[in-house]
Amino acid sequence: MNPSGAHGVLEQNGEEHISTPIHGPSIHSDNPQERIQARRLRIAARLEARRREALGEYLDGKKESEEDQSKSYKQKEESRLKLTKLLLCGTELVTNIQVATDIREIHRRVEEEEIKRQRHEKLENEVKTSQDKFDEITMKWEEGKQKRIPQDLWEMLNTQQQHCAGLIEDKNKLISELQQELKIKDDQYVKDLKKQSDDICLLLERMEEQVKNVMKNFRQELYHIEKAFEAERQELMTSNKKKWERALQAHNAKELEYLLNRMKKVDDYEKQLNKQRIWDCEEYNTIKIKLERDVQILEQQLQQMKATYQLNQEKLEYNFQVLKKRDEESTVIKSQQKRKLNRLHDILNNLRSKYIKQIKQFHEENQALTSDYKRLITQFKELQKAMRHFALIDEEQFREIWLMNEEEAKSLIRRAFDVDQVISIQHLGLTWTMPDFWFLKNVGPIFQQQKKSATQILEEVLLQTEEEGAEAATPDTESYLDLPKQISAKTTKKILMLLCDESGFLIESKLLSLLLPLEKSECYLLRLDAIFSALGIENEDDLYKLVNFFLKYRSHCLSPTQVSAFNQANTEQTSFMSTLKGLGLISSLDRRSLVSKSEQDPEEQETLEGGQEGRIVGREPEEKEAPLSPRLIHPNDVLKVLEAFVMGLKKPKDFHPPPRIQKYGRDNSKDSEYWEALTTVIPLAKLNLWDALYKALEKYHLVLTQRIKQLMENDTLEQQNTELQSLLQQYLQSKVNSELQVPPTQGFWLPAK
Amino acid sequence: MQEPPTAPTTSQSSVSQGHLTTPGQGSNTGLQYPKSPPAPGQASTKTKVPPVRRMRRIIAEDAEWSLAIVPLLTELCIQHIVKNFQNNPILNQLLPEHQQKVLSHLSPDLPLTVTANLIDDESYWRRCCAQRWPVCHVTRYGGSWKRMFFERHLENLLKLFIPGTTDPSVILSLVPLCKRYVRRIQVDQFLPPVQLPTTSQPGDQSDSGSEGEGDGPTQDHYQLGDLVAGLSHLEELDLAYGVKDCGMNFEWNLFLFTFRDCQSLAATIKACHTLKIFRLTRSKVGDEKARILIRSLLDHPALEELDLSNNFIGDRGARGAAKLLSHSRLRILNLANNQVRAPGAQALAHALEHNTCLVSLNLRLNCIEDEGGQALAHALQTNKCLTTLHLGGNELSEPTATLLSQVLSVNTTLTSINLSCNHIGLDGGKQLLEGISDNKTLLEFDLRLSDVAQESEYLINQALHANREAARQRVLNPGHFVSFINAKGPQNSVR
Repeated sequence: MNPSGAHGVLEQNGEEHISTPIHGPSIHSDNPQERIQARRLRIAARLEARRREALGEYLDGKKESEEDQSKSYKQKEESRLKLTKLLLCGTELVTNIQVATDIREIHRRVEEEEIKRQRHEKLENEVKTSQDKFDEITMKWEEGKQKRIPQDLWEMLNTQQQHCAGLIEDKNKLISELQQELKIKDDQYVKDLKKQSDDICLLLERMEEQVKNVMKNFRQELYHIEKAFEAERQELMTSNKKKWERALQAHNAKELEYLLNRMKKVDDYEKQLNKQRIWDCEEYNTIKIKLERDVQILEQQLQQMKATYQLNQEKLEYNFQVLKKRDEESTVIKSQQKRKLNRLHDILNNLRSKYIKQIKQFHEENQALTSDYKRLITQFKELQKAMRHFALIDEEQFREIWLMNEEEAKSLIRRAFDVDQVISIQHLGLTWTMPDFWFLKNVGPIFQQQKKSATQILEEVLLQTEEEGAEAATPDTESYLDLPKQISAKTTKKILMLLCDESGFLIESKLLSLLLPLEKSECYLLRLDAIFSALGIENEDDLYKLVNFFLKYRSHCLSPTQVSAFNQANTEQTSFMSTLKGLGLISSLDRRSLVSKSEQDPEEQETLEGGQEGRIVGREPEEKEAPLSPRLIHPNDVLKVLEAFVMGLKKPKDFHPPPRIQKYGRDNSKDSEYWEALTTVIPLAKLNLWDALYKALEKYHLVLTQRIKQLMENDTLEQQNTELQSLLQQYLQSKVNSELQVPPTQGFWLPAK
Repeated sequence: MQEPPTAPTTSQSSVSQGHLTTPGQGSNTGLQYPKSPPAPGQASTKTKVPPVRRMRRIIAEDAEWSLAIVPLLTELCIQHIVKNFQNNPILNQLLPEHQQKVLSHLSPDLPLTVTANLIDDESYWRRCCAQRWPVCHVTRYGGSWKRMFFERHLENLLKLFIPGTTDPSVILSLVPLCKRYVRRIQVDQFLPPVQLPTTSQPGDQSDSGSEGEGDGPTQDHYQLGDLVAGLSHLEELDLAYGVKDCGMNFEWNLFLFTFRDCQSLAATIKACHTLKIFRLTRSKVGDEKARILIRSLLDHPALEELDLSNNFIGDRGARGAAKLLSHSRLRILNLANNQVRAPGAQALAHALEHNTCLVSLNLRLNCIEDEGGQALAHALQTNKCLTTLHLGGNELSEPTATLLSQVLSVNTTLTSINLSCNHIGLDGGKQLLEGISDNKTLLEFDLRLSDVAQESEYLINQALHANREAARQRVLNPGHFVSFINAKGPQNSVR
């Protein structure tokens, strides 16, 4: 900061140097004021120095009082204060010059102003007086113009001249005075310049001195501070060293203690180690022996393993060879297959394209066909409608014709009966009873009762039994159906349940899953339906046949086969399945055959019915047994029974190829019978009777005809007689007679009477 | 660039010779380098010895040749770059260490058009400065050698500019080169146009100096307008219209600040919005010119310091300055050594009453007298901003001192007051002592040569010392100073 400060001062002084000339204060100056100032400055400097000393002492006192503060800090503080003081004083000392010049300048200005004012006054006075004089002179000129006398004029001119000269002299005097002043000022200026240069020199000197002083002081203070620091450091070092030594001693003592402890411990540990070693040695020996044994065993095992390894290796090598060969073959095959694959791929692609084409074609065709089909369907529907219509009409017509014919026939029969009645009553004199034939009561075409389907019956059975469960008292067989021939619904149901439980394998798994959520009865129903469809049971008869079969089977071979049935159940199931499969293919045909069988084969029906009756006989005791054993047939026998049943069902089907029957057509099988029956209303014996009667009657007729002829002749003769009589009469009664006195007639007359 | 004649110094010559010889040799024996390693005596590497044998004859021709001085290729390149820097300045593309080498070898005489905007390295500009000027205070230039170089270069040009004869493009061509670096123009000399010899009659000089403004453009100096407009970072203008070292050729004409100068300067500073400091000293600025200048500075966006010391500014100029105080953000106002009297000081005081910017006011060597001094003291009772007040040499006396003592007991912002060279008197000194005993912020109070009793001056200095210590403590550890002052207070009073 010092150099810059000095610089600043220099600059300021430099500025002043140009504008205002001032003198530096020095004791040896001419100017008394300056000397005074210089002395003042000196006094101030001394005072400053004294004050500084006092402050230093004060600081020393403070230092002692503040022992707790560190030495260096104190030293620093002290130095700082000293140095700031120094700087302050130094700058003051330097700026003193400036201040001095300032005040000198002010004084100068004041003086200058005063002098200026005086000068102005002087000049103004001068101007005034000179103006007066000038006015006087000009006045005189006016006077002079009026003067005509040359002497006067000359005198006046002379005085004028004197006045002018005086005026000019005054002026000149003033000018010279002013010039003198100017000269003095010039001198003053030169002096001022000199003073200023002196001032500047002094300033420079002081600044340099100041710089030197400050530098010296700074150095000194720095030195002091360093010393203080060093001393402090020394102290610190010694104290630290002491501390360190103390700590070291403590440390050593502790170390010794630790060492002793450690040695003790080492001894202990050594003893322990020895013990441990001995113990370990023993253990080691035992373990070693054991391990050696183990090693031997393991070596043996190793040998064995090696042998097996050898063997395996050979085997594997062989295998490897084989596999290699196979691999080669397989590669060949693979390549072949690849080629083939490629070829097939080509073919596949071709086929695909073809297929696509075909698909297109077929699609088109399909569309065409579907359209055709639709058309045909509509046509067919129409046709059906028409057909239905026609069927109805036909039926109606048929019915009408039937009725007509029947009426005719019946009228004929009635006539025949009448005739018969007449014949038997009148001719034969026998009592006649009206023969009672079923067909006579019949009116209209005959409708045979349709066979109920197996499922319907099932439903009925199940419902029935359920109802029975609810109201047990109802009379069973009558209320139920006419068909369960002597088989109670309960037994039927039981059998069916059994069947349902046992032959679940006949039901499709899908159906089973669908059945789960349904009610129990419905479930049974559907299950049985499925089973029946699998077995080929379609209608009532089959069902009852089955039930009967079961019952019969039970009575038949309950005792002997029961044991074996257990064992065979499973195998039978499979065999049964195979038979079913064989059946399955023709089941549709079979069913029809089954439907028709009952009608087509009355003989068989009879035999079956006979069988039924037989069974019924056999069943009666079973019926009684049934409540005792809830299961009529052991579940395991069910399959056997079924198999037997199916085999039995199969036979009739093979013998009788199924005649086709229209589904919706009437059953006209009984028609001919009916009509034939109608024809045989009059039995043969009666006809024979009638023949004989006829012959007798013919003979009688002949007699009668002869009699008629004779009668006729008689009549003719009578007639002729009468005619003759009339003629006679006529003759008699004629006028001629009257005219005649004795008419001829009178003679006739009398005889005729 | 490093030609032997331009490098007469011994240290450089040896280097330049070293540089010069090697390229020459390189061209002669360039092809033989790989085949001809140095002679065994010179070569320190023994691996290259065997093939030497054949070529020894050629090497022997040049006795000074040695492998030790064969520079690296990078060295050669750098040398080449340095050599041709004027024509092909390559610097920024180089690696940092190479840049450093190039910069250290560049000559300070390179034209500024090449170096100005390319080289930012301080060491280079330091060399340039050191070459041109023996004394360099880099701290005065913000620590930047480059700024110093350009500012002083420009200053030199301006100092030597003679209107009418020197080509203005000399200066204006420098603008694009230095506008980024120049922050201050400091010129203490403006040369007038060259006078015809006929007009220079010794008798007329003194008279024409005072009324020379009528002479018209012949007396005008260099117009700074164009230059300042070009310098975008200019912050300080320090001007003094005058001639230095005129010696016996002194003429009043040489120290003439004409109206045209004034008007152009006013327009210049008005246009320069970055200007922070404006100094116009020792230029015989009168009231009218001061008012012109101040009017142009009204509402200036950046101006912080105005220095019009050592001029002829009277009350009207001071009134203008007072107006400026309320119309700008001026922080420092220096009107030292002018002719401001009581009315001007009253105007300044009035402006100071409500001012919140001004920090320093210097009215040294004016004549404001007690009236002005009392007005200023009244103003300071309300002002909360001013820290430095210089009223040295103003014919002040006791009444001002009493008022100031009142101010001192109230004011807490003033740190420095200078009342030297006044007529305060003994009673005034006592009153000031009373005032300062209540003050804790004043650090400097100059009462030299103002007729104050030595005792009171000494006590005032004691109080100032205590204040300084307190201020120092405040700076060192803010927050504890209150207790410190309380602890120190009694001791000081005792002593």
